[in-house]
Amino acid sequence: MTIWQPARPGLLRRRTLLQGMAGFAALAATGRPARAQDMPTLVNSIRSLSNPYHATWNQGGEAFAAAIGAPYVTLVTEGDSEKGIADIRAILQSTGGNAVINVDPNDAPDARPIVEAAVAAGAHVLTQWNKPADLHPWDFNPNYVAHVSFDGVEYGGRTAQVLIDAIGGAGGIVALGGILSNTAAIDRRTGLDATLAANPNVQLLDFQVADWQSGKAFDTTSAWLTRFGPDIKAIWAANDDMAIGALEALRAEGLQGQIPITGIDGIQTAVEAVRAGEMAATVFWDPFWQGAMGLSIPYHARTGTFDPAAEPPEHREFYGAATVVTSENAEAFYNEHIAATPEMDFEDLWGRVSGQIRQS
Amino acid sequence: MTAAAGESAAPPGRLARVPWRAMAPLLVLAGLCLVLGLVAPNFATTGNFGRIATSAAVPAVLTIGATLVILMGGIDLSIEGAMAVAAVAAALVVVAVPGPWGAVAGAAAALATGAALGATSGLLHVGLRAPSFMITLGMWFIGLGLAIWLVGGGTVSVRDSELRSLALVRIGGLPLSVWVALGAVLLAWVVQSRTRFGRALYAIGGGEDLAVQSGVPVGRVKIMAFALAGLCYGLGAVLAVAQLGQGNAEIGEGRLFAAVSAAVVGGTSLLGGHGGVLHSLVGVIIVVVLSNGMILLGVPPYLQQAVQGLLIIIAVAVSLDRRGQGLVK
Amino acid sequence: MLIGENLRKSYGNVEALRGVSLEVRPGEVVGLVGENGAGKSTLMRLLAGTQRPTGGRILRDGQPVTLASPRDANALGIAMVFQEQSLIPNLSVAENLFLGQDRGFVRSGLIDRRAMREAALRHLAKVGLDVNPGRRAGELSFAQRQMVELAKALALEDRVERDLVILLDEPTSVLEQAEIDLLFARVRALRSRASFIFVSHRLDEVLAISDRVYVMRDGAMVAEAQASEMTPTELHRMMVGRGVRTEYYLESRQAPPREEVALSVRGLGKRKAFQDVSFDLHQGEVLGLAGVIGSGREDLIRILFGFERPDAGRMDIGGRVYAPRSPAEAVARGLGFVPSERRTEGLVMTLPLGANITLARIRAAMAPWGLSRRRERALAREWIDRLAIRAPSPDTPCRHLSGGNQQKVVLAKWRTAGSRLLILDHPTRGIDVGAKEEVFRLVRDLSDEGVAILLVADTLEETIGLSHRMLVMRDGVVSAELPAPAGGKPDQVRVVEHMV
Repeated sequence: MTIWQPARPGLLRRRTLLQGMAGFAALAATGRPARAQDMPTLVNSIRSLSNPYHATWNQGGEAFAAAIGAPYVTLVTEGDSEKGIADIRAILQSTGGNAVINVDPNDAPDARPIVEAAVAAGAHVLTQWNKPADLHPWDFNPNYVAHVSFDGVEYGGRTAQVLIDAIGGAGGIVALGGILSNTAAIDRRTGLDATLAANPNVQLLDFQVADWQSGKAFDTTSAWLTRFGPDIKAIWAANDDMAIGALEALRAEGLQGQIPITGIDGIQTAVEAVRAGEMAATVFWDPFWQGAMGLSIPYHARTGTFDPAAEPPEHREFYGAATVVTSENAEAFYNEHIAATPEMDFEDLWGRVSGQIRQS
Repeated sequence: MTAAAGESAAPPGRLARVPWRAMAPLLVLAGLCLVLGLVAPNFATTGNFGRIATSAAVPAVLTIGATLVILMGGIDLSIEGAMAVAAVAAALVVVAVPGPWGAVAGAAAALATGAALGATSGLLHVGLRAPSFMITLGMWFIGLGLAIWLVGGGTVSVRDSELRSLALVRIGGLPLSVWVALGAVLLAWVVQSRTRFGRALYAIGGGEDLAVQSGVPVGRVKIMAFALAGLCYGLGAVLAVAQLGQGNAEIGEGRLFAAVSAAVVGGTSLLGGHGGVLHSLVGVIIVVVLSNGMILLGVPPYLQQAVQGLLIIIAVAVSLDRRGQGLVK
Repeated sequence: MLIGENLRKSYGNVEALRGVSLEVRPGEVVGLVGENGAGKSTLMRLLAGTQRPTGGRILRDGQPVTLASPRDANALGIAMVFQEQSLIPNLSVAENLFLGQDRGFVRSGLIDRRAMREAALRHLAKVGLDVNPGRRAGELSFAQRQMVELAKALALEDRVERDLVILLDEPTSVLEQAEIDLLFARVRALRSRASFIFVSHRLDEVLAISDRVYVMRDGAMVAEAQASEMTPTELHRMMVGRGVRTEYYLESRQAPPREEVALSVRGLGKRKAFQDVSFDLHQGEVLGLAGVIGSGREDLIRILFGFERPDAGRMDIGGRVYAPRSPAEAVARGLGFVPSERRTEGLVMTLPLGANITLARIRAAMAPWGLSRRRERALAREWIDRLAIRAPSPDTPCRHLSGGNQQKVVLAKWRTAGSRLLILDHPTRGIDVGAKEEVFRLVRDLSDEGVAILLVADTLEETIGLSHRMLVMRDGVVSAELPAPAGGKPDQVRVVEHMV
């Protein structure tokens, strides 16, 4: 109860504005009424469209939707958990639950309310990357179809190994991490640490957080050059954007190509850098696959191609297969994936299952 | 460092009349450098100063632009969006136009895009009489959206363009981008202190109603200020694209807070009418030096943000002139 | 030189001016008086170009003109010096002088600061103000700023070929006597190059400086006369349209104060402001503080209300030590403060009456379930009746009330809070004659109820008229304590002796 009129109208908050816009967009996109009962709405929920990784993810989703002729909606969270959850609830509402959702949750705890909302509405959902450890698809049969992740630990370690091999097994390296609280950042760092532990002649000179951004990586690397100078033999980065930032910092001092750098994500710029010998390795998750198959799998569950309850655990929570791109295969990889559009078999549901997710 | 566009009336030699408060940011910077020089390895080397300058070039240009708007008592939230669309425009033009002319055209495209976005902000702010906070918030998203639409979320590499010479070619040991930034600061300072336009900025910030009544063309000045700010963001975009070798919609991420807080740390009050371009420059340098210093000292990542927050509070507490303020919000 | 012919102005369906005419001749000082709401400000605004008339016309040197903006008026040599300070505090004096007019100083795109400074010095000399043009306007005193504004108006001389008409809107309300004399001297000295329209509530001042006087009432011009033939009482009568009570300060109601001491002050001192001030303030007593700027009286009352802390001495209320560390503590001990800057310090202008009245004692508006708007409105209506506050409704935001009514709301606030000791700081500033009387009546009412009042008044006359006793301060010490009983009021001259 207020006793006075506000002096000026409430200031719009960014979140509300985005919610409104996304809400409109979502409603506009699902303009088609749910009379086509057999065609569920395909929904991809991702962080944003302004990074190449998710942009490609979105393209995968569009391709699949076009292939089967289903309506397609993209939801962006802009790093705002509440918005992410709210948008999904809105789409469940407007489709009456006739939806298939492929979601990359902004943060692990977000997965639970999203899954519960989807299940309650009768939609089918697949989560990727982030979820709480005690949330399992098999507890929500048949609507929570699967959880897909990529083993950040493994690949964080493998890129580190590429670096260590490149410097002959001894020397000092520096590492750029992603946003501290992100599961991916934590996992990849764990992999790095494990590999380092196995190579006692290699020291981690410093670990800094560059929030997945190339600008911050640039500044950090510059400062490192002051602090450590020639002691830096290699740079490990938790993603490609940061690796590029580090690379450009080296280039500004004429050091590009002399210090091996690794990243993760497999974006075009990184692959080109690996080809050119300026980066040592990157890891390609195939976001196109994530965006497409992340919809295909729950779609086929919904249309009865398979029954999730009958599938083994390694089809319910699994690691996808990634490609480590190094100087050896960079050329070939480039020709296959970047110079041309990859062929994708949307029916090959389990082709890239590389193992069940570790239960912690 | 004067606190107003005019000259302060300190008779020489009287210690009590030295504008300590106005010089506080400079003293903070000096103190910071002194401490870091003593405890951080290699801080006080030409190489490191060069790196600090390089890291400060883009933020400096952005903050200069924001300062013009802040002096009027407004706020410009569109920095990230303007930068994104300007960077993307630059990168696309550079790729489309071969040879060194591609670089020139790309830079021109970025400047024009930034200025256009800024002018739009100004026109909407003045024409609709809506607060700058809300207009520029909207322009932020419009800019960002345009940028995403133009590159489909991807990134455009300009690795081999002549544009990169801004970052890779050095004069006097410093990359061109630093000299360009310095030039921009100098130009902005001249405009701020020696032109009627600059004078009007302070007048509007200190008393807009009075300025209107006195015949200052407030509407025109505001639009001009936003347009010039946009131009600065465009310039920042050019420098960033040159530095990072790519243009994408994320290039501006996180830069709004950095620019505004640098201005505040330097002594440019968000209330308007105080501070200026040189103040803001000091603020930028303080922020960059602090980041650099923290890495040299190996400060853990999770502490660094807290330290930066602490810095802002300290800087504002020290440099704010509280005598004139009745109640503080 | 400047003629307003049958001017009309309506705001919506409210007619603020109903066919008003006036004339200003070269070298004249014309006074303009009237109650608040009579239309003086509106008339000034039309002449200054801030507003456009809805009827009638303005003639400048015989030519009809349209003033679409203050710039147009300036171009014709008409300038206004405002009541509320109109300098931009963070700009320098020189920059303020030439605000919006600096085109002439531009060389190759840049401002020639030296030329501006020299010009500024020249203009400041015209009003006899000796300050560095580079100083920030915010650092100057009220009086100095007023002079700068006058200089700014006079600066038009450089750009306009004609004799100027300068509109002075309540220029003396923030000035002390010595400064007022200076202003008047300047105005007289400038008559050769400018005419003045002098608007004020201080009738004696108006008569002292003007050649002719116009009186307005209810949007119309009701009288025009030679100043030499008028007295303040006459003017008052014409302004108010009814017989004026001869007893302006309600002396007959001044009853002896009670015995009980409300506030006891011993040896109070504040470095660089005042020292060794001691007095007892009794319940029901009005204690007037007289003194020029710098005498220390403003600092004294700030310390009494807890804005600042003293360096020496002690205070007691009801036998217990009173050492407030903030105004909140002062309020808790039963003090109230009616500030001189009503707009910024007295009321929350955007809130309605009820909210302001309960500001110091929110419990008055509380019901068991929380804040009750109904109670607040009822409280507002009660005070509207008791104090005869003229407001369209209890929900009217206070900024829409006239100065006098706003002051009543402030007093209502403290009475709701149950204050037993009120500090009144220039309580009748900017209020018209009729409303002033009502404030005086309220002061007497409060005294009768036993509320102790410390008064820093607008004019010496007011201080003498209202007080039971006066403390005269000079250079930080109490130079005299004068009784001012009803029927035995001290002479102004005698008081001034102790002030300077």
